[in-house]
Amino acid sequence: MSTIDIDTDTARDRIADVLSRSRRTAKFVLRDNAAKLGFAILAVFTFLGVFGPELAPHAPIEHTMRAEDGGIMRMSPPNDAAPLGTTTYGKDVLSQFLAGARPTFIVGFFGGVGTGILGFLVGLVSGYFGGRVDEFLMRLTDLTFSLPFLPMALLLLTFVTPSVTLITAVIVAFFWKMPARVIRSEVLTVRERTFVKSARSSGAGHFRTMFLHVAPNVLGIGFLYTAYAVAWAIAGQASLAFLGFGDPTTTSWGRMLRQVFASGGMREAWWWVLPPAIGIAAVTTSVFLVGRAFEEVVNPELRGDE
Amino acid sequence: MSFRRFLIKRVVIAFLLTLVSVSIIFVTLRMLPGTPFSSLVASGGLSVEQVNEIEAQYGLNEPIYVQYVKYIQSLLTLNFGYSIAESRPVAEIIYPRLMNTLVLLVPALITTAIISSIAGLYAGWNRGSHFERSSIVVTTFFRSTPVFVTGIFLLVIFAYQLGIFPAFGMRSPLDNPQGYIETYFSVDFAKHYFLPFAATVLYYSGDFLLLARNSVIERKGSAFLTLHRAKGLSEREQLARAGRNSMLPLVTYFALRMGMLFQGVITLEVVFAWPGIGRTLVQAINQQDYPTVQAAVFIMALAVIVMNLLADVMYAKIDPTVEEADL
Repeated sequence: MSTIDIDTDTARDRIADVLSRSRRTAKFVLRDNAAKLGFAILAVFTFLGVFGPELAPHAPIEHTMRAEDGGIMRMSPPNDAAPLGTTTYGKDVLSQFLAGARPTFIVGFFGGVGTGILGFLVGLVSGYFGGRVDEFLMRLTDLTFSLPFLPMALLLLTFVTPSVTLITAVIVAFFWKMPARVIRSEVLTVRERTFVKSARSSGAGHFRTMFLHVAPNVLGIGFLYTAYAVAWAIAGQASLAFLGFGDPTTTSWGRMLRQVFASGGMREAWWWVLPPAIGIAAVTTSVFLVGRAFEEVVNPELRGDE
Repeated sequence: MSFRRFLIKRVVIAFLLTLVSVSIIFVTLRMLPGTPFSSLVASGGLSVEQVNEIEAQYGLNEPIYVQYVKYIQSLLTLNFGYSIAESRPVAEIIYPRLMNTLVLLVPALITTAIISSIAGLYAGWNRGSHFERSSIVVTTFFRSTPVFVTGIFLLVIFAYQLGIFPAFGMRSPLDNPQGYIETYFSVDFAKHYFLPFAATVLYYSGDFLLLARNSVIERKGSAFLTLHRAKGLSEREQLARAGRNSMLPLVTYFALRMGMLFQGVITLEVVFAWPGIGRTLVQAINQQDYPTVQAAVFIMALAVIVMNLLADVMYAKIDPTVEEADL
């Protein structure tokens, strides 16, 4: 009976603690102008990721733009009918840009969050248990570090048709190592602290100690690396698509760049190049700007004197 | 644990990692459906008997474990076999390309390591200055944007709109230089070199800048600097000492980056049509040229493993504060 009371109490305390801490963190991060801009861009990107395809005036791949005389509108600069111009194949660049936000968003979001969660769990377990578990998991991260991501991903995607899900999975499989290492080294310092030892000696199980006592103290770093992983995932997806190993059924920003590059349209059609290029650059940069401001919270040594 | 034992352990681990990595590459390649020759049969260019003959030449008809042993042997002796697509030794294809990649990347990495580390030290020392803030935002942009996107921006602006630099390749199409000196020391090469070099420098600048800045900030409040200040050293002398203490992470990071260079530049080489190892890999994958793919991925993996080993060893050797338990 009494143990249950303590349980809910500790849980409630923890939640309240986490909430007030995240409120203070948000305040601190938002003092930074670059981070504010980053947040705004990410909000727009999320909106496009969710509603982009619905906002697109035309079907991005199927619809062909036609001039008034009925001819296909190829490579025309921005005009009334196509505010961002058209491609070599007579497709509307604006529609492709809007629709292309979604796969970029999906891979970025799920790839990033998946990477963050897997890396967090591996780092937590590895650092907490130490010994053989640690040795095994760390050699595994060494292995993924020595398998170069892009070449291996290209190899895999040659014999399986790339899809958004598969690309997300490949990204998680290759990127979890980064948060895992950092989380592990943080856990190593937390593990030795008094409150963890006292929790253990007062009878808390491994599972409970790990998640209730150790994990909250490394959560900040976990979030930071999850955010960075979102940017890595977007960059990874765009790189694969650019090399021609993207999901062939849908348009994404990386695939747009592939098409404009491969068709030679880059020479003149700046209106076709810039939207996806700026889109990718703005989103990945925003993640890092927010992340950097957040890093000063997680790592107080970087904080100013104020 | 003595340094010697640590070194032996690390080398053994690196060797095992290499073995596992190349095995994974082998298995992945064997799982590919079809052989490079099946398209030749389909197009009617070769009869089935001829294909069997060729496959025997390449050893593709032998049991898989024999192929595996031969594969490991050939990698250990750096004898990568014959390219299927170009029917000449893979080494003949790979080494010049590898050279082109190194010529592009090593100077770029050294340049960015020096310039942006110094800028980072300066930024960290002048905390809150205009220089600090703007340098961070600018380098964050280049480090987070995929390198091929930066390359595309540079191409659109400097090659296509302004027409200052050539957009394609490593030399003009009609140029046919002989030997390394003629290849790499010409005005034509320099023109082709500039944009990919700039993209690489910009891409890697952010990491060095932030690392240098952060370690200066972390050390600025430390006791030994207070001591130096009390001794009456000038600002610049203090910065020099703080900088010396920030060298370790920078040096080890440099080693890690060197290892990751090859894989990081695949898209860069494709976008600038730079005839390096990354672009060769992409072409070989598209042509299903196994031996060339194997060699290229092997070199990329080996670079990471060797440079990681080097970084670990350097860290242990230079930094007296590394606990033996961390080894």
